[in-house]
Amino acid sequence: MPEVFIDGKRYEYEGDHQLLQFILDQGLEVPFFCYHPSMSIPANCRQCMVKVGQPVKDRESGEYELDENGDRVIRWFPKLQTSCNIKVADGMVVHTQETDELVERAQKDTLEFILANHPLDCPICDQAGECPLQIQTYKYGPEGSRFEVKKVHKPKRVQLGPRVILDAERCINCTRCVRFTDEISETHQLTIVSRGDKNYPTTAPGTEFDDNYSLNTVDICPVGALTSADFRFKARVWEMNQTPSIDITNGKGTNIDLWTRDNLVLRITPRFNEDVNDHWMPDEGREAYRVFNENRVSKPAQNLDGEQVKSSWNNALLTLAEKIEEHDGKEVLFVGSPHASVEENYVLMSVANLLGAKNPVFTPHIEEGYGDGFLLTDDQAPNTNGCRALGLDELSAADLKKEITGAKMVVLLNDQLVDRNVVSAKDIETPFTTVFATNHSETSKVADLVIPITTAAEHAASYVNVDNRAQRTVAAKETKYTNRRLDIEMSEGRLDRYGTSFDNWVTEDNKVDCMPFWNFTSQLADRLGLDLSYDTGRDVMNEISEKVPAFKGVSYSEMDANSGIVLEETSDKTVKS
Amino acid sequence: MAYEFTEEDLQEIEKIKAKYPEVKAATLPVLWVAQNRFGHVEPDVQKLVADTLGLPQAHVHGVASFYTQYYKEKKGEHVLDVCTCLSCQLCGGYDILEHLENKLGIKAGETTEDGKFSIQEVECLGACGYAPMLQVTNDQYVNNLTPEKVDDLIETLKAGKEPEYDQIGMPLRKVK
Ligand code: SF4
Ligand code: FES
Ligand code: FES
Repeated sequence: MPEVFIDGKRYEYEGDHQLLQFILDQGLEVPFFCYHPSMSIPANCRQCMVKVGQPVKDRESGEYELDENGDRVIRWFPKLQTSCNIKVADGMVVHTQETDELVERAQKDTLEFILANHPLDCPICDQAGECPLQIQTYKYGPEGSRFEVKKVHKPKRVQLGPRVILDAERCINCTRCVRFTDEISETHQLTIVSRGDKNYPTTAPGTEFDDNYSLNTVDICPVGALTSADFRFKARVWEMNQTPSIDITNGKGTNIDLWTRDNLVLRITPRFNEDVNDHWMPDEGREAYRVFNENRVSKPAQNLDGEQVKSSWNNALLTLAEKIEEHDGKEVLFVGSPHASVEENYVLMSVANLLGAKNPVFTPHIEEGYGDGFLLTDDQAPNTNGCRALGLDELSAADLKKEITGAKMVVLLNDQLVDRNVVSAKDIETPFTTVFATNHSETSKVADLVIPITTAAEHAASYVNVDNRAQRTVAAKETKYTNRRLDIEMSEGRLDRYGTSFDNWVTEDNKVDCMPFWNFTSQLADRLGLDLSYDTGRDVMNEISEKVPAFKGVSYSEMDANSGIVLEETSDKTVKS
Repeated sequence: MAYEFTEEDLQEIEKIKAKYPEVKAATLPVLWVAQNRFGHVEPDVQKLVADTLGLPQAHVHGVASFYTQYYKEKKGEHVLDVCTCLSCQLCGGYDILEHLENKLGIKAGETTEDGKFSIQEVECLGACGYAPMLQVTNDQYVNNLTPEKVDDLIETLKAGKEPEYDQIGMPLRKVK
């Protein structure tokens, strides 16, 4: 097998590798800025220098030439090489900054150059704390600068587009942002203008950077030159907790991270998943943090004489139980939701079945022509295929409307049917309608009973994307009834601050008075004398994988280990629990 | 203002495109075609070039902005590119620039009111051996400058005469 020696250690490899990526894959480090694994390699930052050589072979025998000590004779490349654009070759010998002083010196000097005109305004820069330039300067940079002349000034606070702001002085001209619009989003909206120490990226005159994916450039910018107009100056990186989750704004199931502080989601960034979204996400999905923070239904509400009044949980529970008891199972219509998780829909299905009601129905939320073949989909809901795989009865919007208007009592899982014009407010007002909702909407407004449930940011639950991939979320913020200390999956931020006066998770108002759907339903089942009880989404999924063939082998640990699991197509979609 | 290429320009552009495997490579020569036609490559002209070649507008803008030889705004009849790069700087390039600025009453980057002259401060033009130097409207080099020589040059140009200096031909640029 071909071999390569890095800092004196032997590694075997197969296939084609860029040296820098290979080094990183071994858990080693070489500083770099312009290289990005998903884009072309311009090798323009010159930060990733290493010393490289090849062993000399005797032409006739094909054997390696040896020196008097019996070691291979190495022919070194005449100059240091940028490791990002050099291919690993058999027998190659590499020295990084760890074992070669010249390399160390070269990296230090490159950084000194890069910083020659950099404003060094880290204390007021959003990127501080997650800035490759800052981190690598601390690790590999010079202690000071020998440039005593005035720094070059360039445009600052340039609104490149509706969502991205440029500080050209901070830019190191790595061209990652330009390459992103050329190679990934393919809108070609950015270019580097001017030259020498005056250059920086911008748009063509009279145009704006309104790419649907523009905020990805903020993520990949290795300095604070590109910042998010929305997130700017909101929080320091180290004050936030980062929790893996799934984008719920469309059917793609883009893998994301939720960044929380004090029980508010402050920003959303993409999380790498080769099979779904690579390193990217649409700008739209980042807006979803508002769904988690704003306009939330907190505490149940009941319609009394045409007015919604807040009610206690106990009252909500009793009212719903009474109403269900008043009706024959057949008279109650359970409506599932492609906007709700697999677990929630499954629990709804279980209750319906235990009460002898009809199998729950749902209608997909599709906007034809909305998708772009990349990360935006026609499907506006995260779990349409989940509803199908569970075996909910799929109806057209018109048929669902018919069912609802014909029912005496409706139990609706989080789906804003009025807002998305499936039914009218009138249609909802006629039967006794209970809405389980995360956010206030035109739909919840007209319900007889509104019961607040948790969002994807507050519970662990699964969603099946347009490609039939089941992936799950993890609770990122507390409700009134959860505690990040007790939910072992929740990231706690800095342990040394927990519960001290430095703990910044203190605002009681940021905790929504809501409950996971399965918890409320368990209480309801208890009240109704039904045999159903779940503690967590994980419990629900364990049961689903046993009972629903499509989910055979699906569990939280399997999903975590494989970044999601693709469900097998099953012919029998009407399995009931 | 809407700019348009003439039939003749378009034919020339087709010929240029045929020379390269990729249309991107035609950006520079076609910008010359445009500048020869309109006297500058303002943003609207850059857009015309981009649309004609089917290239992103941002790309053409990036290329045009890289070279001081392309005029991104309307310039005077004579554009004086004064080199202030290292060799010229050491040999008094800034003094020449200052002299010229005072003489014409404008700063580098500006154009005289009568539209006769523009001054640009540029980087090395590859004539370091004759420093300090300047170039007239992407054409003649005027070398080994002294204030007197600059005065002479201005008078010659004002009189509508060709300055008598070496002429270095450049491909695709219209040599008068
Ligand atoms: S703005 Fe950022 S990503 Fe773009 S070229 Fe400058 S440093 Fe690179
Ligand atoms: S990462 Fe290799 S040159 Fe920039
Ligand atoms: S420095 Fe002026 S021509 Fe080279």
